[in-house]
Amino acid sequence: MKMLSIAYKDILIILRDRGTLLQIFVLPFVFILVFSGMGSMGEDEQEALPLTVVNLDQGSEAAAFIEGINTAGGVNCEIMDQSAADAQLEAGDIQRLMVIPSSFSADLNANKQVALRIITHPDADDNITETIRLIVDGAAQDMALETQIVASLTFMGEMQAAMPADQQPFTTERVLQQAESQFAISHERPLITVEQLQPGELDKIEEFQPVTGTQVAVPSFTVLFVFLSAGVTALSIYNEKKVGSFRRLMAAPMSKASLLLGKMLPQMVITISQVIVIFGIGMFLMPLIGLDGLVLGDHPLLVILIVLVMALCASGMGVLIAAVARTENQIGGMSAVVLWVMGALGGAFFPIYLLEGFLGQVGKAVPHYWASKAFYGVLVRGQDISGISTDLLVLAGFGLLFWIVGVWRFEFDR
Amino acid sequence: MSESILTVRDLQKKFGEFEAVKKISFSVNKGEIFGLLGPNGAGKTTAISMLTGVLEPTSGTAEIGGFDLRKQLDQVKKVNGLVPQDLALYPTLSARANLEFFGRIYGLRGKDLKTRVEDVLRIVSLTDRADDPVGKYSGGMKRRVNIAAGLVHHPQLLFLDEPTVGVDPQSRNHIFDSVRRLNRERGMTIIYTSHYMEEVELLCSRVAIVDQGEIIALDTIPNLIAMLGGGVIQVGLQQVNEDLLTQLRGIKGVKQASLSQSPIAPPPADGEAKDVSPNVPTYPVVKVETLNSQEALVNIIHFFNERDIQIASLKILEPNLENVFLHLTGKKLRE
Repeated sequence: MKMLSIAYKDILIILRDRGTLLQIFVLPFVFILVFSGMGSMGEDEQEALPLTVVNLDQGSEAAAFIEGINTAGGVNCEIMDQSAADAQLEAGDIQRLMVIPSSFSADLNANKQVALRIITHPDADDNITETIRLIVDGAAQDMALETQIVASLTFMGEMQAAMPADQQPFTTERVLQQAESQFAISHERPLITVEQLQPGELDKIEEFQPVTGTQVAVPSFTVLFVFLSAGVTALSIYNEKKVGSFRRLMAAPMSKASLLLGKMLPQMVITISQVIVIFGIGMFLMPLIGLDGLVLGDHPLLVILIVLVMALCASGMGVLIAAVARTENQIGGMSAVVLWVMGALGGAFFPIYLLEGFLGQVGKAVPHYWASKAFYGVLVRGQDISGISTDLLVLAGFGLLFWIVGVWRFEFDR
Repeated sequence: MSESILTVRDLQKKFGEFEAVKKISFSVNKGEIFGLLGPNGAGKTTAISMLTGVLEPTSGTAEIGGFDLRKQLDQVKKVNGLVPQDLALYPTLSARANLEFFGRIYGLRGKDLKTRVEDVLRIVSLTDRADDPVGKYSGGMKRRVNIAAGLVHHPQLLFLDEPTVGVDPQSRNHIFDSVRRLNRERGMTIIYTSHYMEEVELLCSRVAIVDQGEIIALDTIPNLIAMLGGGVIQVGLQQVNEDLLTQLRGIKGVKQASLSQSPIAPPPADGEAKDVSPNVPTYPVVKVETLNSQEALVNIIHFFNERDIQIASLKILEPNLENVFLHLTGKKLRE
């Protein structure tokens, strides 16, 4: 109960601090708004990644699709026959293989949904796979949209031609409405879907959702600002020591553990409130201002689990900063490192699948990366608990480490 | 014999090699206002921090309200109330919210908490402003809330650590009144630390004088002042030898004469003698304890005139705690 009293008092103090409220709730919204509108980031500058393609379709749509991927840049398709490709994938000579089904052109022309498969080698780098998949997905969306609109307009044209000249049923406005409607449908029910699997996993197909700027920006900035609130906890502990109230609390009949837990509980509340506000903005406000809305996907409960583990980790980081920093400036400096450096390495400013090579490896050393990866797995890849369990365990491990070192280094009597 | 609420035994605190509190022992009786007098850095706050459970002692212990400090810290903390030297409050919260928070920390809830908060607000006369943010209060008002926060759980033993630092005279008087009322009307035992001799003289029945981590004297105020007898006269001379000291001890009205441990620098042309600086040449000072300072002064001046000995400086220390401290340590309380 005493722990709750400390937490309640801290929340009252935060609610009276406009600067902190601005940092916690308004700043993330501004960042998300800006970065969501930016759409794809830096794809043109990526070196073309090889993608082996087995084209089982003899129609023109498949060829146009491959051409579309190559034109989009970033991926270079290499055509190979099925048996050679399978052998090379099994041997590990190639890392990814995209299979275009034999019915691709026919299904597309019949306006039927068609599935592409990307088969990956077990050792394939997930980040590179994500990058390739995004480009393929983009080309697929463009092509599907084009196909749907063309089909729709052709149909309307044929109907128009069959009617007498004085009974033309489609005005220009009606045609535009139809085009817009097709555009919306292409987002809600994509004509081409992309599935990812490893050899021997044909029954475990993982279907990708269409990726929007919001879908990437909201979780990324959520992670960024949740960890930034570690600085709020550290500053709260510092101020408590500075004014001497920490000494007064130390003289009260309560354990040191209760005292520290009482100081970290508000951060849990802040984190959960932050996520509710940020996700609420992503889901409901973004569509109102013409941007894509956030989709929680098939496992919304996993989002809650990620938030809780992330909040524990961030509060541990707060205690660690409070334990290590000696002055207010040091807390500010460390908070800046947590915000900018760790945020960038963890994929807040560039999606983690774009962080390749050294940066991609270094990113794994910060908790932001694992939190972003877990969010990405659930919100973009539609993964279940087994898909993100490693990410959550690593994140929890970071939290535990921060706590242990933080409590060990914490000077209660300083 | 009075019942003791606090018995300190060989309490020591070391920070690395630095010994901040040097195995002090003393006891405080129930219902007493006990003073800890000493300059800044003497070790008063460190001693209080140990007795209130904020700092862990390096060695030694204390018994507070019948509980052992080392073994029954939680019970000790319930007996104690601490008013720290800092304004340990949350400035954006109201006085009432601050007091309710500190009450909850001591396990108070509901109606009991509300009643006690109102009670302490009355004690410090802040009922009318109770809902204003503490940050908008004057320095004196903040000090009063600071005291109230230490009282809300009705402690048996209240530690007041320099409670009047930075307050105006009116607020200071108000704090004195509150302290006296708490002691008189509620029987609260109070340990009052200060480096203001006047405050300790005004409030405390017994005083421990602390310097460099040690208790150098402990007694009632009249007994401490009696150490100076009829007063002390400090005489600065060019030269002092044992023969001169012996002759001085024979003068009428003189109780004792000794060489001061702290020599004094020669006075500047336009002022009083200054305290010692390492690079300034100094001269010896004879400390003469008298039975009656006025009578002894006349005889001492006559003694030196007769022998044609030049007096470099002369200072009379009236019998008060400030001069007791000077007498015991060779330095002023507020150095």
